[in-house]
Amino acid sequence: MRRAEFVSRFLILVGIALAIGVPILFWSRTPLIHVSMAEAGGWSPSTFKAKAGEPLELRLTSDDVVHGFAVGQMEMEGVDVLPGKVTDITLTFEKPGTYTFFCTRWCGVNHWRMRGTIEVSGLNPNPELVAIPLYVKLGINIDAPHEAPLVPGTKPSAGSGQQLAGDFEISRFSNPDFYRANSPYQAFESMNPTGLSDSEKWDMVSYIWQSNTTPAALASGKKLYAQNCAACHGEKGAGNGVFAEDLAEASESSTQTMSRSGEMSRQTPADFTDPSRMLGASPALLQGKILRGGMGTGMPMWGSIFTEQQIWDLAAYLYSFQFEYEK
Amino acid sequence: MAKIELTRSVFLKNAVKSRYPQLVVFFVMLIGYIFAILAGLIGTPVGSHNFSIVFVWIAWWAILILVAVPFFGRGWCAVCPIPLPGEWLQRGAILAPPYKKPKWLNLRVPKMFRNIWLQNISFLLLALFSSVLLTTPNITGIVLAVMLFAAIGLSTIFKRRTFCRYLCPVGGFIGIYSQTAPIELRIKEKQVCATCKGKPCYNGSSAGYGCPWDVFPGGLTKNTYCGLCMECIRTCPHDNIAVNIRPFSTDLAKPSTRMDEAFKAFIMLGSAMIYAGVLLGPWGALKDAAYNVGTDAWFIYAVAFVSMIFIVLPGLFTLGILQTKSNKPLKQRFTSLSTALIPLGLMFWVAFSLSFVLTNASYIMAALSDPLGLGWNLLGTATATWQPMPTTFLAPAQTLALVGGMIWSACTTQKAAQEVKVSPIPVIVYSFVVTLFMLWLLV
Amino acid sequence: MRSHFSLLLFAIAGLVVAFAPLPTPPVTHQERTFRIDARQFAYSPSELQVNVGDTVILQLMSNDVVHGLYVDGYDLSIEADPGQTTTLTFVANKSGSFRFRCNVTCGATHPFMIGKLTVGIDQWLYRSVGLAGLAIMAVIVSKKQKA
Repeated sequence: MRRAEFVSRFLILVGIALAIGVPILFWSRTPLIHVSMAEAGGWSPSTFKAKAGEPLELRLTSDDVVHGFAVGQMEMEGVDVLPGKVTDITLTFEKPGTYTFFCTRWCGVNHWRMRGTIEVSGLNPNPELVAIPLYVKLGINIDAPHEAPLVPGTKPSAGSGQQLAGDFEISRFSNPDFYRANSPYQAFESMNPTGLSDSEKWDMVSYIWQSNTTPAALASGKKLYAQNCAACHGEKGAGNGVFAEDLAEASESSTQTMSRSGEMSRQTPADFTDPSRMLGASPALLQGKILRGGMGTGMPMWGSIFTEQQIWDLAAYLYSFQFEYEK
Repeated sequence: MAKIELTRSVFLKNAVKSRYPQLVVFFVMLIGYIFAILAGLIGTPVGSHNFSIVFVWIAWWAILILVAVPFFGRGWCAVCPIPLPGEWLQRGAILAPPYKKPKWLNLRVPKMFRNIWLQNISFLLLALFSSVLLTTPNITGIVLAVMLFAAIGLSTIFKRRTFCRYLCPVGGFIGIYSQTAPIELRIKEKQVCATCKGKPCYNGSSAGYGCPWDVFPGGLTKNTYCGLCMECIRTCPHDNIAVNIRPFSTDLAKPSTRMDEAFKAFIMLGSAMIYAGVLLGPWGALKDAAYNVGTDAWFIYAVAFVSMIFIVLPGLFTLGILQTKSNKPLKQRFTSLSTALIPLGLMFWVAFSLSFVLTNASYIMAALSDPLGLGWNLLGTATATWQPMPTTFLAPAQTLALVGGMIWSACTTQKAAQEVKVSPIPVIVYSFVVTLFMLWLLV
Repeated sequence: MRSHFSLLLFAIAGLVVAFAPLPTPPVTHQERTFRIDARQFAYSPSELQVNVGDTVILQLMSNDVVHGLYVDGYDLSIEADPGQTTTLTFVANKSGSFRFRCNVTCGATHPFMIGKLTVGIDQWLYRSVGLAGLAIMAVIVSKKQKA
């Protein structure tokens, strides 16, 4: 064989081997977490192990649409995971335990199901017990109907309520113990002896509700709502978000939504603009629903994602669909 | 304008005769092609960030349809890596002919397949699945690999470049469009070939191999089937073969009489119009139908696609040419006049491609930096965001291409019509109508 | 000579059709609001028509995943998550036909998620149709002259 032929064959074979080998080598040595829509597999892998105090490095890439990553109960801002691009995240956990991470950019009706866990090992001298939720302590059945028998004719105004409140003693209402354990209707009822008209009483209830929260908390609740709830519950709270129809169709085939009469019922996301349901719900009930989720409906359980304060902020914001709060 | 013989330049002639410059290009192309297969198979499934999608359907396609075909005819075929491994195996060497030729089957392709119908079908198959093919890296990787292995397999069974000549979906249209190109490979003097013994340009010799495209260079009058591989320039003992620059669309002055080529023109014309409407139009239902392979909507889309190409477009064309009386047979009129659709179709594809290439060219730099979506940043451009190139001159450019193509087609119609002694008016009107439709879809 | 003369006439007519500025009729400027639903892989509505000088308000609502909306020619864009409508407000001071497209990778056929905004009249379309018509006439005339 002539030398030129030999050299050519050699170079071609080496070139082909490199063209095949180099990509495979790098690809097999690059541990990436592939993220796709829940229907296509979600987080892959979805569980990680870490040691307390040591950094955990994660490299994520999306295989389809825009996703995001955040760890629950840490008030962490979501880090976007973009299709075809790689996002590097480094996390350090001080306390051992099981942490839940979740997707922070809506990626379909099953977006909220995109969750995974990080097991952080280490010695824990003071293990925290999970706090018993208020609705459990109070014995509230959050699945029982909670319609308010009486509702205001117009949207109550906290401003008017504030003016009226000057003449009355409302300190017993303006504390978390009362506020959290009672629905607005119960507050309305306990004002009966005071001799005001119904709409004036509702105004005062709305003022009491506003005084039990802060503008900062409402703003936080509003942001949480927009990012997590509006897609199903609607941007204006009317239960008509972009996924409401999909959820209703899905629920038609779910046996969990049979009503007592045995008929299939359509479960749509709750309508927060419906006064009878909202005004009959205490903050503790709302907290319970948010914590625990909808037991087979499309309502996610947020217990491992939101901190307790975030849930109270969100609940406070939900009432703003019923009450006219002062800006 | 007369022809300019490029190979008169000693530098160019030696560059073409020597196997080394070509081998360097082959090497780069083959490595790139194999890398594209791998990127498609193991890289990110997100098409816009995967080397295989970006470099095959944006970069390579842009260079092919905007530069290589209009200006260099079958220039891409001259450097394409697909036939190479098979051909090297078949020949038993990468460079000059070896002492012993390996024993492969070396069959002649049966006569029934010695036309471009298989290429028409393979192009149509890709076209029907194009929405999926253009956006899914592993499908692109698989298709590229299938083409490579098909070429290798066919080279071990049949003689010469069977994949290229009879199966390649791209070669089908590059061939007919190469008739419009300003470059050609032709013999210099006929008498020299008449007295040549052995015809090594076709049969091979110790200096080189017989034409891999199964073309007799002495009889080449059109570019359609010459792959510009330069092998005949190496084997001709009389230095009677030249590469020339010539006026555009010289070959169209001699209209073809082949039905397979005529239908190829309709396939290309029709698919450009369908792509413009489905891919670049605002109608979501069409896009869904084209993408969701296997659904009822897709079947309807596929039937509509095939009907458009085999029934509607040729049917209207035939109705038009039947309007004028002629003593020539219909088939001859049909095939000759369909030559006019060649420059028209080419410019339709140019106009269509300009739009999606200019819109998506920014993906090229990102894909170069991170071809597999593994988080690399080789050139520092991995985080470049998508930004379409300024679109203000797109509409004028498309107008120029489409109206220019229509004028070119009308001139071609006149020449073809003279050959078959009919009026060119029906075909000119046809070109006008389809051009209007394409303008409405794109501009 | 005659054929050269008529070709020249056609060429001049072509330049006029291509480049002569069209008179813009005075139109009262309005504020136009469009709610655009975005889903994989289409906008609804996907064809919008406004007058030159109108203030255009596009409210982008995503129905499934994060989508974007980028307007060709104006180089403006917004993106919206499902549940969070985003608004783009601009003055349509350039006339013609502009594609708007998704600029946030939203799945497989994302590059073909396209809509069309027409501001005033689509001048280029009319010009190009005019040019095509002129070209046909030029070809027919020159053929008759050669005969």
